[in-house]
Amino acid sequence: MRNRLYILLTLAFGIAAVQTTAQSNRGSVVIRNGTVLTVTKGTQDKTDVLIVDGKITQIGKGLSAPAGARVIDASGLFVMPGIIDPHSHIALEDINEATAPVTAEVFTGDAIDPMQVMIYRALAGGVTTIHAMHGSANAIGGQCETLKLRYGTTDPEALRMEGAPRTIKFALGENPTRVHGGGYGIVPRTRMGVEFVIRKAFSDARDYMAKWDKYNQDKLAKGFRGAPPLYNRRLETLADILRGQIIIHCHSYRADEINMMLKVCKDFGIKRIVFQHANEAFKIAPELAAQGAMASVFSDWWAYKFEVYYASAYNAAILVRNGVVTSVNSDDAELMRHLYHEAGKTQKYGGLTDDEAMALMTINPARQLGIDSRVGSIEVGKEGDVVIFKSHPLSIYALPLYTIVDGVVRFDKDKDPDDMRLFVDPTQSTETTVDHRYDAGVDRCMEGTDFLFGDLSTEEN
Amino acid sequence: MIIKHWKLLLLLIAALPAPGIAQDERELPPVTRTYAITHTTVVQAPGRKIEGATVILKDGIITQVGKDIPVPADAKVIKGDSLFVYAGFIDGLSHTGVIKPKEENNRERPKDPGNPGYEKAGITPQQDVRNLLNPADKSIEEWRALGFTVAQVVPHGVFLPGNASIIQLGGGAPDQSVLVSNSALYSELVPTSNVYPSTLIGVLSKWRELYKQATLSHNYEQVYASNRSGLERPVTDRVLQAFYPVIDKKQPVLFRADQPLDIYRVFNLQSELQFPVIAGDLKDGSLALQRIKASGIKIFLSLDLPEAPKDEGKKDDKNTPDAEKQQLEKRKKEALDRRVGQAAAFVNAGISFGFSGLSAKPKDVMANLRRMIAAGLSTDQALAALTTVPAQLLGLSDRMGTVEPGKMANLVVTAKPLFDEKSKVRYVWVDGTMFQYQATEVKKKDDGTKADIQGVWSFSIDTPQGKTENKVTFKKDGDSYTGNVVGGMITEPVDLTDIDLDGNALKFNFKITIDGNTVNVSIDGKVDGTSFNGTTSAGSFGSFATTASKDPKF
Repeated sequence: MRNRLYILLTLAFGIAAVQTTAQSNRGSVVIRNGTVLTVTKGTQDKTDVLIVDGKITQIGKGLSAPAGARVIDASGLFVMPGIIDPHSHIALEDINEATAPVTAEVFTGDAIDPMQVMIYRALAGGVTTIHAMHGSANAIGGQCETLKLRYGTTDPEALRMEGAPRTIKFALGENPTRVHGGGYGIVPRTRMGVEFVIRKAFSDARDYMAKWDKYNQDKLAKGFRGAPPLYNRRLETLADILRGQIIIHCHSYRADEINMMLKVCKDFGIKRIVFQHANEAFKIAPELAAQGAMASVFSDWWAYKFEVYYASAYNAAILVRNGVVTSVNSDDAELMRHLYHEAGKTQKYGGLTDDEAMALMTINPARQLGIDSRVGSIEVGKEGDVVIFKSHPLSIYALPLYTIVDGVVRFDKDKDPDDMRLFVDPTQSTETTVDHRYDAGVDRCMEGTDFLFGDLSTEEN
Repeated sequence: MIIKHWKLLLLLIAALPAPGIAQDERELPPVTRTYAITHTTVVQAPGRKIEGATVILKDGIITQVGKDIPVPADAKVIKGDSLFVYAGFIDGLSHTGVIKPKEENNRERPKDPGNPGYEKAGITPQQDVRNLLNPADKSIEEWRALGFTVAQVVPHGVFLPGNASIIQLGGGAPDQSVLVSNSALYSELVPTSNVYPSTLIGVLSKWRELYKQATLSHNYEQVYASNRSGLERPVTDRVLQAFYPVIDKKQPVLFRADQPLDIYRVFNLQSELQFPVIAGDLKDGSLALQRIKASGIKIFLSLDLPEAPKDEGKKDDKNTPDAEKQQLEKRKKEALDRRVGQAAAFVNAGISFGFSGLSAKPKDVMANLRRMIAAGLSTDQALAALTTVPAQLLGLSDRMGTVEPGKMANLVVTAKPLFDEKSKVRYVWVDGTMFQYQATEVKKKDDGTKADIQGVWSFSIDTPQGKTENKVTFKKDGDSYTGNVVGGMITEPVDLTDIDLDGNALKFNFKITIDGNTVNVSIDGKVDGTSFNGTTSAGSFGSFATTASKDPKF
């Protein structure tokens, strides 16, 4: 009987705990006396930052805190905006719908997995917002979701950054040609084929849009009884790109194909595009700037396949100095834990200023995701996403001590328990805490596409 | 390489014909369809018990329940003095009696995986489970023997396998068994393996696309039907038509939601498309209690539970107390408690639920229910989840769920109260047809006849791949045995665990590792002198006939 009571109590408390975390997604914190790196409004020494109910309400000296707000003494510490990773594949149950060259209709936001411990690890690296992307197996992949790392709940909805603009993944070059052309002998087999696939998709979408516009117009007439056109989510999504409602994030490496994509955008009136990886973007930086296209790059990672051999660690700096909105990204659950080092490398290679380098991981990725009015800098009215560092974030000794999302401390280095899993499988072996659902160390960008290649490797050899 | 071999083996097993039940010549109709269970304890509904009562069944209906009821002259009388009478159980989501399709060898690469057509993509909502029923399927008998009389059954498959029906587990011809046809449109948010949609994100997109297409074509068909003159003929599409009753809110969608995040995906579809929803086979529903409650979704919790941990290996722990391991074990235990306590948590949150047997093994069901009860579910609540609540959730309350006059004669009769560890099912009535279960006590043989297994045995396991040969050595160690197994795929001897010799019944386990995956192998059978006959089960790989003989040299 006593045993049963105990179980009932555990259950009751277990439920209570889940509810509290779900409700406390907005918090209040006062950060005292830190060196505040606002990124957009310069650096302010010995300054307080006040976050009330998830929003930054005041920046100044000697601020009075509301009752119940957590107080963090940041004397001698550095306070920066939460880091934004514009290219990530964590917190997702599925990444690649790789079965067709165009799958614009699928949406990673349908497969959010809030329980991956990688989210907590990212918080420990100061990351507060990620762009959870579809993979790069198709010329036009799926739509992506922008997530806030509100780790601590099993409800996927809690992570969604409500109101963030829609984005979609495109991919040029070796990945889509290898999967579809190489794997199945269907278009695209070449870079020309990739361009054709994208142009055809947009042309079809234009026709589709015209058909529906006509039907919707006709329907207004009294007594109209005609048949509707066939509904197609793929074309519907592509039409939304043409309508300017979705930002393209295009996986690309070579300057020639980036240039090709710029022309495609021009021809179809598409204004918002961000080139992801873009190792050769520095070769056409003025062209990118002229068209308002942006770039999200690795600091110094290349040569992992043929199309990534021509590369330079000066890429980011050249792009920035040519007026291209540029960010650094991880594409990887480990690299994302030290994006501040990645940004710092642009000072060694290219001599960017502190603010320019800081912008690569804060306000610039926010611009690329269309969320720069909400996050990406420490300004009154913005969301309370803040990281507190020991040492300057661009220093090699940088160490995140607190990561705050919407005013809630999600990572506190002094209170960092060993086992931060949210979900434990009762049938799993306890030999390790490895989450077997997600094998570490695989190329997540191309995850789940192996079956498409079949015996291709032997053919190529 | 090895793993491929095992997968192939799996395919081969699946392709074997289902074993038929040997029917006794021709079934004779019962002499009478009137039954009287006299002087018995009737639990009419959870919490409503009458002692010393009589229950009269006539032509498939419960006609009278109460004290001092005269026994009709034509009644077969069952003396119920030590028996307990309950309403027959109702399973909210199962494959009981449903033929499993032959698994095709899908290993070849599809030509154009982006355009597989409906069937290859797992989109067959027009399929009717009534066409897939096999009255002789062993599962019907197994679930009925536990007291289950009615089940909502669904076709095998993923994504949109077809329409569900509510059937009676009396083993009659399909049309005779069906109580409600097309009771729900069944869906699993699981993709097919190598064609579009091959991911969860693809499945969820296709779901919405089909639904929207169906809505548009449904509307246009109505416009066309009202006046066909001058209009383009609508093309009939059976797949889209299968959604019409859902669109009209006349039929619910029944989702399998066994994985922890499934229920959240269901919430999104439900709130977007606004159709009635039933979710079944929930295992981690306690993670989403408040949202489940707010959604109003009808819930059937899984009767499956992870195995309870064994107290083995305690000696080792004493030698090497490892704080980290203890902490991990503690969290694992909490997770297990959460699973076992799911039903109680639902009760505490005020959410009513039935049970689903979809992923449970019949032999574990009663023990699992007792574990849920030990974790805080009351016996009345457990009974309600087996009877009154599912009847209500499935719209069958006027016909079943309680032992009351006017209800269908679906009963389970036990010796000892239902959830008592020693409770045994004695009779089950399905729609007035009686099934009797003998009180067969397994008699243990005398110690004198206990088989002696010490020595080396040659085991032969009959897999569809051919026979595998292993050497198994048993050594006597006091009253028990130790041993190991070697040979075949096992290059180094592996220790046997849980060796249990009871009379001539022998059972033992061992673990093998295939491509990094640990597989629990369990061998179970009877020893007859120097020979052994039994079964090997290897987790999800299936069960295989096994023989062995003792090597005379040892």
